[in-house]
Amino acid sequence: MSESGDKLFFDTIGILESQRNRYPLLFVDQITEAVPGKSAVGIKNFTYNEWFFPAHYDDEPNVPGFVLIECLVQTFIMTFLSIEEYRGNKTNFLGIDNVKFRRKIVPGETMKISANLKSFKRGIAIGTAEGEVDGEFACCADFTVSLPVVFDKFVPPKSK
Amino acid sequence: MSNVEKYQQAFTETFGLGEDQLADLKYQDVPEWDSVGHMNLMGALEDVFDIEMDIDDITDFSSFEHGKTILKKYNVNV
Repeated sequence: MSESGDKLFFDTIGILESQRNRYPLLFVDQITEAVPGKSAVGIKNFTYNEWFFPAHYDDEPNVPGFVLIECLVQTFIMTFLSIEEYRGNKTNFLGIDNVKFRRKIVPGETMKISANLKSFKRGIAIGTAEGEVDGEFACCADFTVSLPVVFDKFVPPKSK
Repeated sequence: MSNVEKYQQAFTETFGLGEDQLADLKYQDVPEWDSVGHMNLMGALEDVFDIEMDIDDITDFSSFEHGKTILKKYNVNV
């Protein structure tokens, strides 16, 4: 990780230190710009060596939708996992809304993901992420994600 | 709108319940009042009464009725 003004840069090792996704489910290569508690910009490079391309599909390799969602959300969680006290923690999905896929992504292409954190309260992060390839809109989604290490502190004891 | 109406509305809108279902309602009595629903309810109450609740009060907020006692700490009489 390196710092420039109020912006942080995370290489792959820095990402691995900040979030808990691992191969074969780590889907962001760099965070080129993170403003902790506000935003993050991520890069994901796709090559034919990705494990899913031979299966999706053998005659027309392109990135599956669930992988694109992971690219988006893994950049999104860096908007708050870039905050020093939360680094290295696990996250859970609570909701995905307004998902759009508009561009097929194929081997050799790079997706740039821009994520914004709208709210982060009591371990619940709400925000949005958008992916583009060569300046062309590819996909987007709104996310609600929990940070259990914080969220669990606010949960009442079970009543039953 | 009175505080009682605001209080009831926070529950009915967060959990999609009718007012007649609120009197004896407790945490986890309905699927909607789970841990995530609880945070949504706390957020709704904080917004409508312009307060910020302490962590102990949020975890102690175990029922519709007990919530009224907790809100008194914040000078909100329901």
